[in-house]
Amino acid sequence: MLASIVSPSGLIILFSIFGIGGIGTTLLRGNNRAQNLWAHIFSITGALWGLIFAASALISNREFYVNGLATSFPFLSLSFHIDKLSSLFIIIICLSVLFCSIYGIGYVKSFYGRYNVGNYGFFYNLFIAAMLAVVTSSNGILFLFAWEIMSLASYFLVVYERHDHKNVKAGYLYLIMTHAATALITLAFILLFNHAHSFDFNTIRASVPSMSMALKNIVFLLAFVGFGTKAGIIPFHIWLPAAHPAAPSHVSALMSGVMIKTGIYMMIRLFLGILLPIPLWWGLTLIIVGSISCVLGVLYALTEHDIKRLLAYHSIENIGIILLGLGGAMVFYSLHLPTLMLLSLAAALFHTWNHATFKSLLFLAAGSVALATGTKNIEKYGGLIKSMPQTAILFLIGAMAISALPPFNGFYSEWLTFQSLIHGVLSGDILVKWVFLGGLVSLALAGGLALACFVKAFGSTFLARPRSVMAKGAKEVSIWMRSGMAGLAVLCLVLGVASAYIIKSLESLGREITASPRAGLITSVSSRQTLQIGHNFGSISAPFITVVAVATPLLVWFVSRYFINRHQKITSSPTWDCGTDITPRMEITSTGFARSLTMIFQPLLRSNLSYDTAPAGSLAPTSIVATVGIVDIYKKYIYGRMYSLINILSIYFKKIQNGNINAYILYILLALIIALAMGI
Amino acid sequence: MLKIHFFQVTVSVVFLSSIYFHLAKRNIRISMVYGLQSAGVVALLFYSYLQKGSPLILVVVLATLAVKVIIAPTFFIRLINRHKFKFAVDPHVKMALGLAIIGLISGLVTLHIFSPLTTIIPANQTYLTLALASMLISVFLIANHKDALSQIVGILSLENSIVVFAIFAGLDQSSILDLGILFDIFVWLFVAIAFISMMYRHIGSIDVTRMKRLKD
Amino acid sequence: MHILAWALQILFVPLLAPLGVGIINKIKAKVQRRQGAGLLQPYRDIRKLLHKDEVISEDASFIFNIAPYIVFGITLIVGASVPLFTSVIHLPSSDLITVVLLLATGTFFLALAGMDTGSSFGGFGSSREMTLSALVEGLFIASILVLVILHRTTNLYLIAGSVHLDYADLIAVALAGVSFFIVLLAETNRFPFDNVDTHLELTMIHEAMLLEYSGKKLALMEWASANKLIIFAAMLVNLYFPVGLASNLQFGTIALAITIFIAKLLVVYVAIAVLESVIAKLRFFRLPGLLFTAFILCLIAIGLVK
Repeated sequence: MLASIVSPSGLIILFSIFGIGGIGTTLLRGNNRAQNLWAHIFSITGALWGLIFAASALISNREFYVNGLATSFPFLSLSFHIDKLSSLFIIIICLSVLFCSIYGIGYVKSFYGRYNVGNYGFFYNLFIAAMLAVVTSSNGILFLFAWEIMSLASYFLVVYERHDHKNVKAGYLYLIMTHAATALITLAFILLFNHAHSFDFNTIRASVPSMSMALKNIVFLLAFVGFGTKAGIIPFHIWLPAAHPAAPSHVSALMSGVMIKTGIYMMIRLFLGILLPIPLWWGLTLIIVGSISCVLGVLYALTEHDIKRLLAYHSIENIGIILLGLGGAMVFYSLHLPTLMLLSLAAALFHTWNHATFKSLLFLAAGSVALATGTKNIEKYGGLIKSMPQTAILFLIGAMAISALPPFNGFYSEWLTFQSLIHGVLSGDILVKWVFLGGLVSLALAGGLALACFVKAFGSTFLARPRSVMAKGAKEVSIWMRSGMAGLAVLCLVLGVASAYIIKSLESLGREITASPRAGLITSVSSRQTLQIGHNFGSISAPFITVVAVATPLLVWFVSRYFINRHQKITSSPTWDCGTDITPRMEITSTGFARSLTMIFQPLLRSNLSYDTAPAGSLAPTSIVATVGIVDIYKKYIYGRMYSLINILSIYFKKIQNGNINAYILYILLALIIALAMGI
Repeated sequence: MLKIHFFQVTVSVVFLSSIYFHLAKRNIRISMVYGLQSAGVVALLFYSYLQKGSPLILVVVLATLAVKVIIAPTFFIRLINRHKFKFAVDPHVKMALGLAIIGLISGLVTLHIFSPLTTIIPANQTYLTLALASMLISVFLIANHKDALSQIVGILSLENSIVVFAIFAGLDQSSILDLGILFDIFVWLFVAIAFISMMYRHIGSIDVTRMKRLKD
Repeated sequence: MHILAWALQILFVPLLAPLGVGIINKIKAKVQRRQGAGLLQPYRDIRKLLHKDEVISEDASFIFNIAPYIVFGITLIVGASVPLFTSVIHLPSSDLITVVLLLATGTFFLALAGMDTGSSFGGFGSSREMTLSALVEGLFIASILVLVILHRTTNLYLIAGSVHLDYADLIAVALAGVSFFIVLLAETNRFPFDNVDTHLELTMIHEAMLLEYSGKKLALMEWASANKLIIFAAMLVNLYFPVGLASNLQFGTIALAITIFIAKLLVVYVAIAVLESVIAKLRFFRLPGLLFTAFILCLIAIGLVK
């Protein structure tokens, strides 16, 4: 039975489900509810089928190709390749899609009457289908085609709520950056094609031994910048904080949790699969870039008071962590340490999966809060835990997971990343040791800062008193939205408890990706699910930690409640606060919370504080306005300058476009003559 | 001998018509000469049918005859009469200079640089050269003339030249040529008709320089 | 004997922690030429608080109610996980990163509880606590990293159990030990980071977050803070100076090990008390500088190791 699922027809069924879902919604014009249900039921079904498909592929250990339309033209062959890496990513994608779609059924109700739900359903299903095609394609052209469709579909979803012109601007920036990235990727593929005379991945891999180092390096740089832009590494990240908040919340969840991982997927395929053997500096570069993204991402998150932008910056931080693992794996490969390479790769893959889970959860919860209050500004929240208790608990779970607190899944993947980095410090010469050390310190620092940031985010949003009328009027969101979030929260816990087993599987998966079937495995799992690395290098026991972390506080509560002072009276009264009057303005704001850290990291963040007094220059002003801002140094120094340069060049070249058709045809004629002359 | 004369006549018709489009002042004559040019192409295709006897070619011959020789010029003439644009609009580059450029193009094609193209089948070198020249002249027609009718006729004449080139380059051996022509007939004519009628409806004349205001 | 050793391991920290705080207070009092409260005063304070009624703010949510149990529970778990008097028995949670992140969980809930009641002081306290905690977590990992590199394991018990140390590495360990001492002071809210005795709310960090607590919950929070102090002190003496740990579970060995351990702890407590009597609390924004200096020491130590 498994064999019939894991077959070309299974894959075709997968794409068809999303296809029917997408096209079907546009046909159901006029009936919002039908469109909503149609689109989401098909995406849920598709996600379930995808899970069954990929899980069967992993269990039955089958790897297969689907070749359609193989013609002699290298441009026109469609081929899909389902191997373990693709199956893993299909699972990651489908899990997020499943819960986000359940959430979407409730969320999309807010679009009725304002926007066309059919368009949303179409692009949503198209987006998911394109992502699945990206992780399963085995041919360069098909990959680029699917990549482009994924970018375009997500663009339309980003600008979906077009009445807010900020969203349109954000979409524009996203479109430009993603196309610049796609151009670089296309160039990389063309260079590979030139060498291998085929776009097929296997043919390229076979021709790599004869590739010159210079060509490989150029391909690496192009691919790294191109896929890195999609993944959101600094300094190519400027589209991420603009685009992710603009999309509908569950689409942001998918974009942030899953779409940026497709960049990571292709990096793994290229750098650890196709382009082997690789030089040392590639991995070191990835670690350095990962460290920078890690720390800067969370620092920028600290300064944000738009909840979705804050979460978007955290995605950048977590991509940095994934790059630390991936870079480590590449370095270990170059140092001929396959066991450690598998460890690092497992860390990167596990963190990819975990981040997809808890980031989706956080975006969904943030979306619920934004929907209930009508604003995304944290400063206007407060006290929502009383009106939205379930959302609050789910956000808390997500916050604990992303800050790597036990017993949730983030803890285990960060633990594993630490272990792999420590191993890196212990192996290798001075340069490698200090790069790994830098990565280790960045990871520790980022972990601490992320914790601070989520105390700020959770505290300002849910705790204390409501700071605005909008927050006072918030109500708990619909059951659909809560179920979607709850599913992800349970998944966070499950992934944490099962982490030993998952890590072990990911390690053996790594053997297949990097074509090193004889590499030893450094981890071992005991019968009680204790994961041990090496010979007593380090060990962790997920069930133990989970049980103990839950049982001990319960035990303490039980003892203190029933054995000590059973007749204690508990009365409720206003907050004491040393006897001052309590108003919502007495509580700390999110900007205030992060102010200390912002001041400490002032050289990196370039925050500025300006005062406006009115009347100006007088000794006793009637009002003072203090503005704290962050200078976006990327926009100002890098992209702003690039933009002016391109603008000047365009205006200069615009002169050849004089609007006259005849002139254009003349250009064609001249080009034709020259092309004929040269080509012959 | 007869065969060679036949070839010479038909190819010259194609070549000279493409030059005539540049020179003509009355649109009706342009349409009719286009019909003549297409007739030349039909003759060549008919000859190829006689050579091979494949029914597909016969279908193609009849289709081309119907559409390009009869229907298209008729349609153009009716269009001209209805909207009353009897006289061609002045080209960018005036008569003498235009003729000089045409001569230049024809000379260019006979050059040594283009010989790999023109010697695909060495026996047909002259015909291939003429077909190539008429291709480039048709493109120049599109570049030079401002009115939409000349542009469309230029494109159609380009097609005819390509068909001639293909026939003499030996491509009529496979059915690609026939399929290509059929496809071409259907698609291009629809496009041409749509372009001219819509342009006139929107802009009021078929002078394409009036479309400049669509420029950014 | 086995069971007794396990029981001791689990109960050592919560039972002796208040005594440690009492010792520090007594020494500080003596230096200030006061009699000071008795050594067992913290026990009496905890008992008093446990039997008092509570007043809870209207603005508080369930976070405020569950935080003390979580914080105290975490200190119990970590207390049992760090090497105290023996290197033979150990829990699966005695890994470096696990301990760091478990303690971070405690800090997380403490900070949230501070913000929960919406009081100004709680909010500021949480902000400052998280600022310091973010910076200190990195330093924490870095300072123990030296030992990890040296002993090639992240298991705290194995680090404590190894006896041989090269002379050259001794300097590195000493530097890292100084750095860890600074981490200890930061995490346990001692001078120069925080003043536990201050009654000026604007200078509080830890105490500010506890301002709204009363009764049993306050007792648990105070107790948890004392537990943290003994945990860090235990880590300092047993990881950086792993002498005198019992290598088997005989009664005599254990008794001796406990005595040596208490003696080592006393050294640390006296040092803290003297430090608190001699230096002043640093201004808040000068603390990152201090942490950065400690970090440089760590880097030097790591550079010195092999």
